[in-house]
Amino acid sequence: MKKVKDYNESIHFYGRLWMVFILIVFIGVPLSMCVYYNAWPKPAAVLKGLLPIAMFYYPTAVVEVLTYAPLLGTGGMYLSFITGDISNLKLPCAIAAMNAAKVKPNSEEGEIISTISIAASSIATIVIVAVCVFFLRPIIPIITDESSIFAPAFSQVLPALFGSILTAYLLKYPKTVVAPLAVILIILIFAGQMSVGILIPIGVVVAILAAHLMYKKNLI
Amino acid sequence: MTDFKEAGFMYAMGLVVAVIVVAQAVFFLVKAWRRGKELGITVKDMKNTVVTSVMFSITPALSIVATVVALAGALGLVLPWVRTLIIGNISFETAAASAAMEAYGLGGLTSEVTDPEVFSAIAWVMTLGSMLPLVIIPIFLKRIQKKMGKALSKDTKWADVISSAAFVGLICAFVGRAILGQGNVDVSPEVLTDGAGVLSVTALVFSVLFMIILQKIADKKQLKWLDAFAMPISMFAAMGVVILVSQLLPPEIAFLEWRG
Repeated sequence: MKKVKDYNESIHFYGRLWMVFILIVFIGVPLSMCVYYNAWPKPAAVLKGLLPIAMFYYPTAVVEVLTYAPLLGTGGMYLSFITGDISNLKLPCAIAAMNAAKVKPNSEEGEIISTISIAASSIATIVIVAVCVFFLRPIIPIITDESSIFAPAFSQVLPALFGSILTAYLLKYPKTVVAPLAVILIILIFAGQMSVGILIPIGVVVAILAAHLMYKKNLI
Repeated sequence: MTDFKEAGFMYAMGLVVAVIVVAQAVFFLVKAWRRGKELGITVKDMKNTVVTSVMFSITPALSIVATVVALAGALGLVLPWVRTLIIGNISFETAAASAAMEAYGLGGLTSEVTDPEVFSAIAWVMTLGSMLPLVIIPIFLKRIQKKMGKALSKDTKWADVISSAAFVGLICAFVGRAILGQGNVDVSPEVLTDGAGVLSVTALVFSVLFMIILQKIADKKQLKWLDAFAMPISMFAAMGVVILVSQLLPPEIAFLEWRG
C-alpha cells in the first residue's frame, strides 16, 4: 500500500498541473473573445473596472485560501477553487458527506470522502446548470420568477442547507456553537449588512479560540 | 443579424471549458476512489457520498441558473454560463459586470450590451478579478498545509476539536445572517431577497427540526441509509415548508424581513 505522503504528494503534483492548465484556459476565454470579435478593450478601461473589484476580492481570495485550507483537504482545495461556489455549495457538501460517512476531517479517510464529495458535486452542478440553461431555457424564468410559488424557497436555500448542517454539530458538539453564534449575532445587530464573506473568517477565528480555551479547561 | 453574444463560437468555447473542468473533477474522483479502496473505505460509503453530494447540489445549482438567467438580459446566456464554470460566484459575477460597464460609462446591468468591445472588457474584468486563487494555490498551498499539519499533528484530540470548531464558525456566519442579517440590495435586487425574516427563520428552524427527527429515527431503527441522507432530505423538507408558509400566510407576515 502507498504511504499517506505519496498520495498527498501526487495530489499536490497533479493539482498544481491542473490548476496552471485551467488558469491558462481561463485567461484564454476573454483573449479568444477579443481575437474572434476583433474587439480589443482599452487597458485603462479594464483597469478602471477591475480596481474596485480587486480591492475587495483580492484580499478576500487570500483570506478564503487560508480559511478553507484546513477544512477542504488537499484534493478538495484544488478542486473547489477551480469550480468555485465554495461556501454555499462545495464545503457544505463535503461537511455533510464526512458526517454521513462518519469520518473526521484532517484524517486520511476524511480527505478521500471530501475529495469524492466535491468532485461529485462539481460534476453534478456543471451538468445541472448546463441542462437547465440550454434545454429548459423557456421554463427556467417561470420557476425562478419572483411571482412563482417556488421563488420563496429558492431565496431560502442557504438557511435550509445550513440549518441541517448546524444540527449535526449541535448534536455532537453543542458547546462549540455558543461563542461564534453569539459574536456573529452581536455584530449583525450593529452591522446588519455585513456579508458572509467577512463573517466567515470572524466566525472561524472566534470558534477556534473559544474551542481552544474550552479544551484547555477540559470543558469539551 | 444574430446576437454576437450568443454566436456559435461562444457556445463552442463554453463547451471546451466545461469539458476540461469536468475532466479535472473526474480525474480527482478516480484518484480518490482508488485511494479510498486502498484505505479500506467501503464502496457503499463512497457511493453514498456521491449520491448525497449530488442531492445536495441540486438546489444551489438552480440558484446558479437563476443568476445566469438574471445576467443573460445584459450579457446573453453564454458568457455568464462560462463564468459559472470556473470560480463561479453569484455576487462576484454581478459586481464585476457592473463595475466593467460603469468603467465604460454605461449604467449597471439594466441595459443590453451591444458593443463587442464592452462585452470583452466585461469578460476581462470578470476573469482578472477572480483568478487570484488559481495563482496563490499552486504556489502556496503546500507550504500552508505543512505549517498547519505541524500544528495539528501534535495532539489529535485537540486537532479534532479545532477543525470541528472551524466548521462551526463558518456555519454560524450563515445561520447568523438568517436570523439577523440585513438584505443586501447591491448583490441582486432583481433575483432574490436575502434579508432575515419570517421565511429565513422558518427555513432554519424547520431544517433543524427535520434533521433532529430524522436523526432520531435513523438511530432508533438503525437505518444507515437514512443517516446518510438526513441532511439533504431535511433541506428539501424545510424548503417545502417555506413554500407552504409563503402561500398560506398573508404576504405581509410571510415576507416580513425585520432588518429590511
